[in-house]
Amino acid sequence: MSTATEIDVKELLAKIDSGRRPTLLDVRNDDEFGNWKIEGRAGFEIIHVPYFDFIEDEQAAIERVPAHEVVVVCAKGGSSEMVADILRGAGIPARNLIGGMIAYGEYLEPLKVPRPRDEEGDFEIWQFNRRGKGCLSYAILSEGDAIVVDPSRAIDVYASFLEQSGVRKVHVLDTHVHADHVSGSRSLAERLGADHTSMKGGESIRVGKILFQAIATPGHTPNSFCFLAAGRYLLSGDTLFTKSVGRPDLGGQVVEWSLDLFDTLKDRLGTLSDSTLVLPAHYSDMTEIDPNDVVAARLGQLRHDLPEFKVHDPNRFSEMMLQAVRTPPPEYARIIDVNLGNSTIDADLMVQWELGKNACAASAQH
Amino acid sequence: MRKLDVRGAKCPMPIVKAKKEIDQMQPGELLEVTATDPGSVPDFKGWALTSKTAVLKEQRTEKEGATEIYIHVLERK
Repeated sequence: MSTATEIDVKELLAKIDSGRRPTLLDVRNDDEFGNWKIEGRAGFEIIHVPYFDFIEDEQAAIERVPAHEVVVVCAKGGSSEMVADILRGAGIPARNLIGGMIAYGEYLEPLKVPRPRDEEGDFEIWQFNRRGKGCLSYAILSEGDAIVVDPSRAIDVYASFLEQSGVRKVHVLDTHVHADHVSGSRSLAERLGADHTSMKGGESIRVGKILFQAIATPGHTPNSFCFLAAGRYLLSGDTLFTKSVGRPDLGGQVVEWSLDLFDTLKDRLGTLSDSTLVLPAHYSDMTEIDPNDVVAARLGQLRHDLPEFKVHDPNRFSEMMLQAVRTPPPEYARIIDVNLGNSTIDADLMVQWELGKNACAASAQH
Repeated sequence: MRKLDVRGAKCPMPIVKAKKEIDQMQPGELLEVTATDPGSVPDFKGWALTSKTAVLKEQRTEKEGATEIYIHVLERK
């Protein structure tokens, strides 16, 4: 809840997106600020003055802040609260971002994927956008059944969404073992008393009126899957994004895995029609969000646009993937271990491990 | 050497308290700050870069059971 002295992530993002151009004052240290900051769908001013500058010389630091309304941001909300207090004391209307970058990184927004009016079938697809990390997860609802794919660990959001939707039976599953964020699938399934499902390639299950099929799509990982809902909506996990493909280099076998990815793009997904709507598990920047507020692309468009589809020689493809190798996500080996259920971590550490945006695409320069 | 224990304190308190202590010290005097917040490591570095009163002489990490302890040694300018 926002007040005169505080603002929550939801209201801040709504303000930015609607073009009201708030001024943000980020008070984290230089590295933290350089690595990861708040993004919006419209431009806004962002100023950087570390909080310790206010402790060192309060007056000098205040003078670096414009004398109009500002929202103060830090990692967890503690230092920004102190700075907002100092600024208000100096007559600047400052509000603290509740929970700081951690709250921003966890914030989830459910958005309905629009369907053509004349399309058959009684079902809804919801895309949960975790903007701070660029992670996307999904809930498909049909006639009281639901399936949740790739939930993040903010499981309350899904749980209350499903409750409000009056869902009776729920399946929860992941497209693959995530390396960049801790999955919420096990804990969500536990909370809901639902099935934590895993499917084999070619298997399908019924969700209300629709058929939900698993397609084995090795490449990003050997056990990656895409899920085809109602024959037309492809939850593509980290296999295929709207501006790139999933990086095949996280297992240290980039050549083998990229050959798998080549076959996946060409053959395993090759039979799907161009009109299939691709709904990925990640995006890299705000420009990938379409006018309907969702991240999605027609498969035909991707086949036309992405250089990865234009290479017809597997060895040439794996060379291309080798060139795209970059730093793995921080702590990815430990995150994988937790997502496999081999180890557990406490909440504070989980937050530390997940800091920053995802780095799951084969190319960051798009 | 003066000692300041800020174990358990979260940002911004470690630096707020260290600054208070430094302000009461004589030039050349040393202060050893013991913290548990991992964010204190880059933050003490960042603060000392522009501080008119504190110089960062040493930073080290020690284990206390399963807990990591961050030790920052500052000198009053």
